[in-house]
Amino acid sequence: MEEQLKQIVASAQTALESVTSLADFEQVKARFSGPNGQFTALSKGLAQLPVEERPSAGKLINVYKQQLQQLWQAAHERLEAEALARQVGPPVDVTLPGGRVPAGSRHLLTQVREEIVGVLRKIGFVVADGPEVETEYTCFDALNTPAEHPARDLQDTYYLACQDEFGNVSRRGQERYLLRTHTSSVQIRTMLKEHPPIRIIAPGRCFRRDTADATHSANFHQIEALYVDKGVTVRDLKADLDYLFRSLLGADAVTRFRPHYFSYTEPSFEVDLKARHLGKVGSEWMEIMGCGMVDPAVFEEVGYDPEVWSGYAFGLGIERIAMTLYGVDDIRYLYQNDIRLLRQFGGAGPC
Amino acid sequence: MKISLEWLQSYVDLQELTIEEISHGLTMVGFEVEGIERFGLPTLPHVVVGEVLAYGQHPNADRLSLCDVDVGDGVIRKIVCGAKNFRQNDRVIVALPGAVLPGDFKIKESKLRGVLSQGMLCSERELGIGDDHAGIAILHERPAVGTPVNTLYPEPDTIFDIEITPNRPDALSHIGIARELGAWFKRPLRYPEVKASPVERVGDDLVRSVRCESPDACPHYRGYNLQRIDIDESPAWLKRRLTAIGLRPINNMVDVTNYVLHETGQPLHAFDVAKIRGREIVIRQARDGEQITTLDDKSRALRGEDLVIADEERALVVAGVMGSVDAEVDASTRAVFLESAFFAPVGIRRTSKFLGLSTDSSYRFERGVDPCGAEYAALRCIDLMQELTGAVWVGPVLVAGEVPLARREIQIQPDWIRRRIGFEIEDAVLKASLERLEMEVRTEEDTDGAVSFWVGIPSFRGDLYRPVDLVEEVIRLYGSDRIPEGEVRARVTLREDDPVPVLQRKATALLVGKGFNETLHYSLREEQEAALWVDNGESRQLALANPLASDASHLRPNLIPGLLECLKLNRARHNEVSRLFECGRIFREHDGKIHEFFSVAFVVAVGNGDKTGTNPDFPLAAGLVLDLLKLSGQTLGHRDFKALERAVWQSGQAGMIALPQGVYAQAGTVDLALSRRYDLEGPVLAGFMAILPELLAAQSERPTFRPFSLFPPAIRDLALLVDREVPSGVVETEVETVAKQLSAEHAQLESVKVFDIYEGEGVPQGSKSVALELVFRHMESTLSDKVVNQVFQEILSALDGRPGMAVRR
Repeated sequence: MEEQLKQIVASAQTALESVTSLADFEQVKARFSGPNGQFTALSKGLAQLPVEERPSAGKLINVYKQQLQQLWQAAHERLEAEALARQVGPPVDVTLPGGRVPAGSRHLLTQVREEIVGVLRKIGFVVADGPEVETEYTCFDALNTPAEHPARDLQDTYYLACQDEFGNVSRRGQERYLLRTHTSSVQIRTMLKEHPPIRIIAPGRCFRRDTADATHSANFHQIEALYVDKGVTVRDLKADLDYLFRSLLGADAVTRFRPHYFSYTEPSFEVDLKARHLGKVGSEWMEIMGCGMVDPAVFEEVGYDPEVWSGYAFGLGIERIAMTLYGVDDIRYLYQNDIRLLRQFGGAGPC
Repeated sequence: MKISLEWLQSYVDLQELTIEEISHGLTMVGFEVEGIERFGLPTLPHVVVGEVLAYGQHPNADRLSLCDVDVGDGVIRKIVCGAKNFRQNDRVIVALPGAVLPGDFKIKESKLRGVLSQGMLCSERELGIGDDHAGIAILHERPAVGTPVNTLYPEPDTIFDIEITPNRPDALSHIGIARELGAWFKRPLRYPEVKASPVERVGDDLVRSVRCESPDACPHYRGYNLQRIDIDESPAWLKRRLTAIGLRPINNMVDVTNYVLHETGQPLHAFDVAKIRGREIVIRQARDGEQITTLDDKSRALRGEDLVIADEERALVVAGVMGSVDAEVDASTRAVFLESAFFAPVGIRRTSKFLGLSTDSSYRFERGVDPCGAEYAALRCIDLMQELTGAVWVGPVLVAGEVPLARREIQIQPDWIRRRIGFEIEDAVLKASLERLEMEVRTEEDTDGAVSFWVGIPSFRGDLYRPVDLVEEVIRLYGSDRIPEGEVRARVTLREDDPVPVLQRKATALLVGKGFNETLHYSLREEQEAALWVDNGESRQLALANPLASDASHLRPNLIPGLLECLKLNRARHNEVSRLFECGRIFREHDGKIHEFFSVAFVVAVGNGDKTGTNPDFPLAAGLVLDLLKLSGQTLGHRDFKALERAVWQSGQAGMIALPQGVYAQAGTVDLALSRRYDLEGPVLAGFMAILPELLAAQSERPTFRPFSLFPPAIRDLALLVDREVPSGVVETEVETVAKQLSAEHAQLESVKVFDIYEGEGVPQGSKSVALELVFRHMESTLSDKVVNQVFQEILSALDGRPGMAVRR
């Protein structure tokens, strides 16, 4: 009998070796362990044995039954694994290219804008917004640059041909609509509707009637900052700008103020910048932006008492900063949007 | 503005200072140096005086001569020369081998057409001392042979090109700049002394009176009669100074007035007395349409508001701007009437702008010359005229209007200055700074011991009239590079970011997350494009009054064309690109008026380079638009789209949403013929949303938690036969309304969604079958089939037989 059992287990083992599907497996299993299977038949033969042989034969059958069950289990596991593996095919070449879902990217100017906004938000500035189509009042007159002032010549301005009323850019009387030449117009809009203390930054698009070249663009972006409070000093302005540039460029960045003229600040300065790691340009002063203390005439225009309030304002060109930070040598690249430039800086910056 | 260093030295001692130090000084007092040039003969070793002993034809070249030249060292050199303007025994300038001429032109012995040339005879231009290159320079004074050329010419000058900001007309002159440098370097300023005094005489050959009809436009006018003038060439020193700053010498009379303008900043005008009709000069408004031919030979028509200086018949000068040819000083002039005046800046500016004519004179008057400076400049001019032209000044001075009262005092407390600047500068230093700028400072102490300065402002500083103006003066002279570093004193406010930048940030994050690359394009577009994309209203409302280029003449009404251009550019460069977007301002009609909108737009180039594994179609574009609208606070669904036919969209492939309060959105496939114009084969999906900034809520409301069912859903599908023209969204809405109502109590409808549209076999002509999936889910229990089936049957019965609708069984 043991011989028979051994035989059955051995032939089950052989049969399983060629089985490749679960369906075949079930057939093989039925041949041996099914209701009419060989092993089942042999087990049933136990009843015919003399009583005294039954206990030892029973033990023997149990031993081989277990062996058989182990075979079934192992084969089943193997076949399941094989079936799963078939779903993904042969092993992969882990060095194969292609097939990536392309990542999106923020434009370099957006990254730089957000970085500067982030740095300034840390010290309490919040973002204000204003229209690109502006009025002479907001862009010039209220900024202490009346029509007859030679300072108007400094900024070549685009005017709109059609002077139909803009639905959402208010104007006083029939003054002309223009494209804002600087984000300083947001200073006026903000001060006219809010009360000090004011601590805002206004990033936005500006326009100047300049011929486009490597450093000039018909439109460009600025970030304006305005801080109005009691007791704001020139030294505060310098401290905050030092903080800004050290945040952007590292602790070795230094700024230098140079007297300048803007009609809406008094005193006014241009700011030069030097930072060791800016490479070749880093060893010489580089003009980076303009700033100053808000002119009392501007405060009077918006109804603030200049005896009570003081403040500073500064404006910097985002293109200029981006080109400096990332070494882009032609402003036009920033508006061409060659995907290689867009992806080159996709998520490159610290922000 | 060009400033000569040599000229400056006449008024302030800048010895021992290097060019760099002076340049730095200019920069730190607020005059940015934009360029530094050398003017005149540089130091040129091996360039000496020689004499042409003999010359003859070059054997191999018709146009060249071969000269024997003596430079005094006992050797007669053979030099080949191309010029013809010299004769035997002329003294000339010889560059010997080893010399290096301006432009790094190295002189060595070399063969010219087969003949060895042992040097070069030089023209003024080759030496960098003039423009004359018609021939070589001939030294008529016959200096000794062998004399180094540098001993014949003055030291080279340095010319600073500096930016003068519009608030500082007082610095538009050499004295003005010398004053600033003197203050910075703490050196005294030397004004030229004036000595002129008139002889008194009466005659028909004099202007006898000046009369001002417009005292507002011309508060002060002075006229001087000068006679016995000999018009001639100016002396070398004068020509050199004018040439150095880029002016062309004309004659001694004209040159002197120009010289005094650039010395003092006061424009002067000289009339030829012989050409003046009548004996009175009148300052008056022009007659409307009055003609004048200005010195640039242009005939100009004036307006009533323009100011002229006239004789009894005609206008002779556009006041403060330019004279007419009618009274021009020329070679035959013997007597002049010299004008020195103060004109009101605004009028001069208006006239200059109107005429499109900006001159050295108008540039200064419109910024404001020293109201008290007319007399000094006139006397200085007369001194020089007497010296250079032999002029005799015949009195009396003819004057219209008083000298304006331009001096004033500003009271300022040193403590107040320190509070504004935020750092310490001692009283004495403050006072000294102001005094170095020619201000008179009186110190006053009140009973509490508080110190006040009374600061007398000189007449030429029209920009200083408030205490705050003096803060800048103090910092300038203290050195704005010495402002100490300080602590950041952060002040926080409760104000939040404005909604547009917040939305822009969110939209950017959304699209970047979906694999879009952000782009930025110019806002100014060509007219044709603007006209094509203007959605409503007219492109004329987008036009600029003064465009610089025809392809940048209109404001953009839509961001999509920029994106198409970008696809084109990248395709042309073989860059794989599919998904692009831009956030920015657009300009479009709304409610009958033009408005500025905030917009976000995107494109997806289908098939070409889209590697996302999806098959982009209209719902993808529409879905993105809905996502963007949701970020803007506008929760809408795909059923809110309406079919849209517009030239820019492929017919039958676009939809739109428009809300009356100012929200616009469109999505679809860009017109295929239009895409092809951008060299884009294959469809381009695109979409945009535009919203009025004022519609965006300052603070978006926080949503409140809505509980959801934790029980399993029951799902049933149904198909409806409807007219093929009925949009699926309409069917969906109708089914939803019915199903919601009938399921409210027992089954609770969760969603309805169209998942298939079928036309063809088994569906009657003109109809379509719309298959919908209904999901039921109860908040508090698992739904039994029995309940759901019963509800579903009720829904089917309710839908079946509704107008134009039949349940397909």
